[in-house]
Amino acid sequence: MGLLTFNTPAVIVTVISVVIGFVMVFIFAWTSDQKAIGVAKEHLKAHLLALRLFQDQIPVVMRSYGRIIVSTGRYLKLAFKPLLFVIIPLTLLAVYADRYLGSEPIARGQAFLVKARISNPDALNSAALQLPDGVTVTSPAVHIPATNEVAWRLMAEKDGKYDVKLQAGDQTVEKELVVATGMPRLSSVRLRDRLWERIFVSGEPALPSNSPIDSIEVQYPARDIAFAGYGWNWIWLFFVLSLAAGFLFKSIFGIEI
Amino acid sequence: MKLVVRNKRLIAFAILGLVLLCPRHSYAYAGPGAGFAVLSSFWTLFVAFLYSVYAFFAWPFRQLFRMLRRRKAYGKAQIKRAVILGFDGMDPELADRFMKEGRLPNLAKLRDQGTFRKLRTTFPAISPVAWSTFMTGVNPGKHNIYDFLARDLNHYLPYLSSAEIKGPKRNVKLGKYTIPLGGAIVKGMRRGIPFWHWLGEAGIFSSIIRVPVTFPPEKFPGVLLSGMCVPDLKGSQGTFCFCTTRKSDDKFREGGVRVPMERNGKGYHSYVPGPDHPLGTGEELRVPFEVHVNGKPNQADLVVDSEKFTLKVGEYSEWIQVKFKAGAGFGAHGICRFYLKEVSPEVEVYVTPVNIDPGQPDLPISHPVTYSIYLAKLFGPYATLGLAEDTWALNEKVLDDDAFLSQCYQNHDDRERMLFDALEKTQQGLCTCVFDTTDRVQHMFWRYLEEDHPAARDVPRDKRPAVIPELYTKMDELIGRVMKQIDDQTLLMVVSDHGFKSFARCFNLNAWLHQNGYLTLKDGKQESGDWFEDVDWSKTRAYTMGLNGLYLNLKGREREGIVDPSEAEALKEELRVKLNGLKDPASGKVGITGVFDCDAVYAGPYVDNAPDLIVGYGDGYRASWDSVMGKVTAQVFEDNLKAWSGDHCIDPRLVPGVLFCNQKIGEEKPAIVDVAPTILKMFGLALPGHFDGKPWTVGSAAT
Repeated sequence: MGLLTFNTPAVIVTVISVVIGFVMVFIFAWTSDQKAIGVAKEHLKAHLLALRLFQDQIPVVMRSYGRIIVSTGRYLKLAFKPLLFVIIPLTLLAVYADRYLGSEPIARGQAFLVKARISNPDALNSAALQLPDGVTVTSPAVHIPATNEVAWRLMAEKDGKYDVKLQAGDQTVEKELVVATGMPRLSSVRLRDRLWERIFVSGEPALPSNSPIDSIEVQYPARDIAFAGYGWNWIWLFFVLSLAAGFLFKSIFGIEI
Repeated sequence: MKLVVRNKRLIAFAILGLVLLCPRHSYAYAGPGAGFAVLSSFWTLFVAFLYSVYAFFAWPFRQLFRMLRRRKAYGKAQIKRAVILGFDGMDPELADRFMKEGRLPNLAKLRDQGTFRKLRTTFPAISPVAWSTFMTGVNPGKHNIYDFLARDLNHYLPYLSSAEIKGPKRNVKLGKYTIPLGGAIVKGMRRGIPFWHWLGEAGIFSSIIRVPVTFPPEKFPGVLLSGMCVPDLKGSQGTFCFCTTRKSDDKFREGGVRVPMERNGKGYHSYVPGPDHPLGTGEELRVPFEVHVNGKPNQADLVVDSEKFTLKVGEYSEWIQVKFKAGAGFGAHGICRFYLKEVSPEVEVYVTPVNIDPGQPDLPISHPVTYSIYLAKLFGPYATLGLAEDTWALNEKVLDDDAFLSQCYQNHDDRERMLFDALEKTQQGLCTCVFDTTDRVQHMFWRYLEEDHPAARDVPRDKRPAVIPELYTKMDELIGRVMKQIDDQTLLMVVSDHGFKSFARCFNLNAWLHQNGYLTLKDGKQESGDWFEDVDWSKTRAYTMGLNGLYLNLKGREREGIVDPSEAEALKEELRVKLNGLKDPASGKVGITGVFDCDAVYAGPYVDNAPDLIVGYGDGYRASWDSVMGKVTAQVFEDNLKAWSGDHCIDPRLVPGVLFCNQKIGEEKPAIVDVAPTILKMFGLALPGHFDGKPWTVGSAAT
């Protein structure tokens, strides 16, 4: 956390991408059938060349199209095995990084929405926020019965980590709110049940199972990372940079991907 | 077991499915491996799609163009497709014998349903000459190929008759470096137009694989992979490398180099010699490699360019890509195979000649250039050298019989794969593929076919393998598989350029000329070095180099010619009379059965480049190894003790080729020169006026 605070997001994403590119290329090399992948790629290219070499022979061209599709499938199948080895750790890593890089914290004086989804329509009407000191409501709650949602527009006067309390029915739950600069760890939503979704999008404990509140969300603004003159979502920047790093390392170490 | 595997797969799919489908799609990105896989697949399909769009819009124009060009195509054709299989050197007498023994059921079927004839060959009966005639339909006087070698009239030195490879036209001198401005220039020396060019002009597509003397490849509407005469990366016709820890100063006479292998820590260090440095430093480029004896019996690890592979003694590696680096972006790409010959007490590794890499050809070896690349991508690297089977290594006993045969059949299997791909791709048009295996194996194993060949006297009769009968059986099986691929609108021909006979005795024609006063050595010497070293040209009237040509030292033609043109005819007649019927004093057999005046045999614009006489050796005889290399020895006749024990460079009347066809052919004495006009006729095309061959009557009209 501390380390992240002192670095710009672009540098962090670049470092992660290069390291991941390096590690993943080697994992790919160790877990894949390199020879078979090489052959599959060569076959693909051969069938592409056949399109040109035998272009006036329609049956040959049609067969080549068929073989291109089959060879593509074979190639993807061969790439599937190393994918199994890397997809879980890398997904977890991406989830972890997204807590820091995916959104920006709320800025002082900046209005933001807190939205709750409540499964019981009666509780929806009586839902009320209990705000800590320094956080104020800037407009009345808006009820959306069609989606069982209620939303509040809030504003914070100073930096800090707050707990916003939401009362619905006879239950009160808390939701973390971060008002800061830099790259603190953020959890935008707190959920009830839905284990898989919680793993990926929520960094907070589950809401009680018997709670009428389905979810409570703070809408942090998405983070744009300045890189090469453009604003990037971190996952796209990671995609591009790790591919570039992977390409570089695979060429240097002669690894077939 | 299957259940376990299935469960594992189910679990794997379930995990992947959950991860991919559950939360955010962006988390499905699993690193650069997956990224490349998806991007590559997408890119491939995208390129295919783009090409489809291009093809769709270009199609009407191409059809129109083809319609205009194809007015003649197939209009009067009697066939939809012609498949010509060239079995270099298949002998009609052996084929007949093996068919009678029941070894060749498929060829017998062709004979019974269609045709089996002897096919008259060219003068001389040498592959580059005969195949040039096959493809052009003309005699050598019109295609300019008379032997593997032609002679330089200024220096009495040989050069390759089929192609000339020169450096770029312009260079820049920079200190000790000469920077080439442009690539090597490859010039074809064969004249005449191959008949598939005429087919192409009429809109008939051809796939031509490894027909000799098609290097450099010429542009035509079809695909072609060059064959015999394609050089190796050193520019030679095949130079193997023998790396050994055994100390020896012996040099191989031809075809190979001995490279020392040095102990280096726990392993052994050596190198593969490559081409000369492209920047003109005079150095030879090399690729180093190491051998590590790994402790397992009869096994070692070879490390080439940081890639390690394990070989057992008596085993070949796959084709290994080697890059000869010259710095500054210059270099050459080659492929070679390593053969582990021995690991104890000494270490010996044989390396095949470094072939041009078909996947990254530094010289054009196919038309279009992408065809060799296409084949390499489809089937992996393959031999591209014209004479890919290393006969010299067996001659020099670097390889034994089994290792040589293994090499031959590995190349043969590659060729078969190419043939069947070409058959699939050429459902209409011409498909021609030449197999060299028949030639090379007969050259090297004829010694086991006869009673008392000098080269096999140390092998007991019951230990002699039936290599040649097995070869014919293998070729017959190939025919069987091809016959299953063709329909009744396909004309199938099996042709060979010549037959085969024993080569038991060598005849040194230069020695005979010397002993009979036609060739004089300086200072009364009795023997010369290679390439006429010590020959006194001022007193020499005739000489020979290459396999069958005899040359007069003609005034005004050769630089030091002394024979007046007005005396040439008389001298030729004198030599003809003396040589014709010449007997071997050791056996009383006739060593030379015919001497042919080239003025009578050839006609055409290139007759001046022909030898003056063609010497036709008798059955069992051939020009000696020394005579071919322009060397005068004391002996005229001697035993041939080399593994190269069968040959065809003799009297062409004794070594006709074969002609099998799945249709009846009316001609009783067909010749190889007739193939081109016959194919054009079968496709309904008019014959060019300059053809020497005559089309045969084929099909029902021939019965």
